[in-house]
Amino acid sequence: MLQAIELTKQYTPNRQTIPALNALNLRVQPGDIYCLLGQNGAGKTTTINLFLGFLEPTSGQALVGGMNVTDHLSETRRLLAYLPETVMLYPNLTGLENLRFFSSLAGFHYSTDELAGFLTTAGLQASAHTSRVGKYSKGMRQKVGIAIALAKRARVLLLDEPTSGLDPKAANEFSDILRRLSADGAAILMATHDIFRAREVGTHIGIMRAGRLVETLTTPDLTAQELEAIYLQTV
Amino acid sequence: MKALRPERLIAQQVWHTALLNRAVVYLGLFVGLVVVYAVYTGWATFRKQNGLRTTYQQQARHDWLNNPDKHPHRMAHYGHFAFRPKPPLSMFDSGMESFLGSTLFLEAHKQNAVNFSEAGFSTGMLRFGEISLALVLQLLLPLLIFFLGFGSIASERETGTLKIVLSQGISWRQLIVGKSLGLIRLMLTLFIPIMLVAAVLWLTGQAGVVSADQVVRFGLLALAYGLYLSMCCVGAVLVSAVSASANVALVRLIGLWLMFTIVLPRASQALGSALFAAPSKVAFFDRIQDDVLKQGDSHNPNDPHYRALKDSLLAVYRIDSVEQLPFNYSGFIMAEGEKISATLYNRHYDELLAIYDRQNQFSRAMAFLNPFMAIKNLSMALSGTDYASFVDFGRQAEQYRYDLAQTMNELQIRSISNRKPGPADKPAVIDRKHWEDVPEFRYTALDVGPVLACQTISLLAFLFWGLALVYLIRKLSKTLRAV
Repeated sequence: MLQAIELTKQYTPNRQTIPALNALNLRVQPGDIYCLLGQNGAGKTTTINLFLGFLEPTSGQALVGGMNVTDHLSETRRLLAYLPETVMLYPNLTGLENLRFFSSLAGFHYSTDELAGFLTTAGLQASAHTSRVGKYSKGMRQKVGIAIALAKRARVLLLDEPTSGLDPKAANEFSDILRRLSADGAAILMATHDIFRAREVGTHIGIMRAGRLVETLTTPDLTAQELEAIYLQTV
Repeated sequence: MKALRPERLIAQQVWHTALLNRAVVYLGLFVGLVVVYAVYTGWATFRKQNGLRTTYQQQARHDWLNNPDKHPHRMAHYGHFAFRPKPPLSMFDSGMESFLGSTLFLEAHKQNAVNFSEAGFSTGMLRFGEISLALVLQLLLPLLIFFLGFGSIASERETGTLKIVLSQGISWRQLIVGKSLGLIRLMLTLFIPIMLVAAVLWLTGQAGVVSADQVVRFGLLALAYGLYLSMCCVGAVLVSAVSASANVALVRLIGLWLMFTIVLPRASQALGSALFAAPSKVAFFDRIQDDVLKQGDSHNPNDPHYRALKDSLLAVYRIDSVEQLPFNYSGFIMAEGEKISATLYNRHYDELLAIYDRQNQFSRAMAFLNPFMAIKNLSMALSGTDYASFVDFGRQAEQYRYDLAQTMNELQIRSISNRKPGPADKPAVIDRKHWEDVPEFRYTALDVGPVLACQTISLLAFLFWGLALVYLIRKLSKTLRAV
């Protein structure tokens, strides 16, 4: 569903070449939760931006649903949902209004009850549906972000440090939602600093360093302590 | 549920979120109050000024007709006043109305300048510009649009919302068009009521009787301003789209506003005057006087031109003194002098206008660099308050002056004895009924056709800016990045 083939990105500010991603190869199948670990600047966000088409690769290919993102930008974007570290929506609109707007943009038109259903499924309590998003906590906004992905029926989720700054309860709820989405067949690529969350929720883990994927692991084979040890040795 | 195109959805969202913002509502109300003030003062000034001018034009006519029996040449010097009627749409755009004056004193032998401008009777504050509806639409509304639009895309880039929006599968083109449409809809929320109020007052100012020409002018004004403000909306969104942050977008837009409304208009005016220098008023009239003296001085009995004229008359009538002529010789000489001085004045005046026209053409051409100049010139022209309409008034008044002077000369030639009356003779006067031979002065404003023909450059500049914005939307849609 999600595939990087020799995916490379270089920035050239002031005629200097700075490699951000170097010949990345990875594959995320439906039902997979692929967690990318690595320090700041390792290339995690660049990878997500390349799959979203916000950046153009210097070489290599980013494929979504078998389509090259560069050549089929709008088609690939229809298949995926994106959740950044901080979901900033329109603060003057309610959660319901935000969801209606974003799902309509994606071409889905739901009744108010259906939209409320998505918000509830994403874990947002009913009393908050009609409150302005400006009053929401970060965790509540993340839930609206998840609802947007649900309403879009996205087959691919690209998550950029989504649990950063969430309280443990909210982070746990978030992990539950991810597992449910994964069980429904979504392919999830998540960039994170949270080793323990990655171990807990991920099916695959990739450790990145200086734009390279230096380690690939499958979670059932290792404990959180082992993952931490590998991570510290690798980065 | 009915599916909306992404552009309309985005436009709706811009509209909806703006109305939920109290600052936007208060700002809109403030602009609304300024508009009400501008519309009211424009309407009140129009009513007052037009009433005064109509009254004084009638008074001048009344005074002319009520002169007693007189010598026609005294009547030629008694003269007449020409009042420029305030154009109905001057309540919308006062243009040069306040600076170029409205009243001309018309008399024999002399072309006087237009007097009694508002500026001449005001404090220096008028130099900063009156608050007309046109001023609000040209300056204030674009500023409001820039305030509403500076963050339209740049803010979303800063907060990361832009990435979520684009990841829904919409293109940059759809986003820019949608944001622009939303901003245009907000602008129309203010613009349409403004134009409706202006239309009502404009109709009441003319007692509900308007010509087709005036209706076309008003329609074109509304269309031109609608387009101009829509361009401001698209411009604001494009600047926001290319700016890394909302602050940068705001600074850029305010910079553009200052550049377009203050710096470039002043610079183009100064540059135009420097490139095509016009003579001073004193120099202009000195040159005419010099040429008149070269051509012939009607007051000098030894002037070669008039001596030759006199000799030819004596030869044709086979007489030896002008007193023997069957018509009034002085009237004949004055008619000739009037013809010469008017021809020379018109020639010099045409040359002066040609210089002003080159200056104005230069200023109009600057509209390709500055859309504000295009709407400013078009607005004044359609409102009948531009330089061309004042020149037209001057020309019609000068023609009236010339006809008046020559009618009096003709009456003198035909009806006044060639012999000087003695102390016991009846004075050399004619019946006062002859004053009716001079028709009342009525200024006929230019039709909208010639007005638009004069504004070809402004119209082309409008087209150019429209196409430029479409091109920019297409170009930037391919090159813009969310990160």
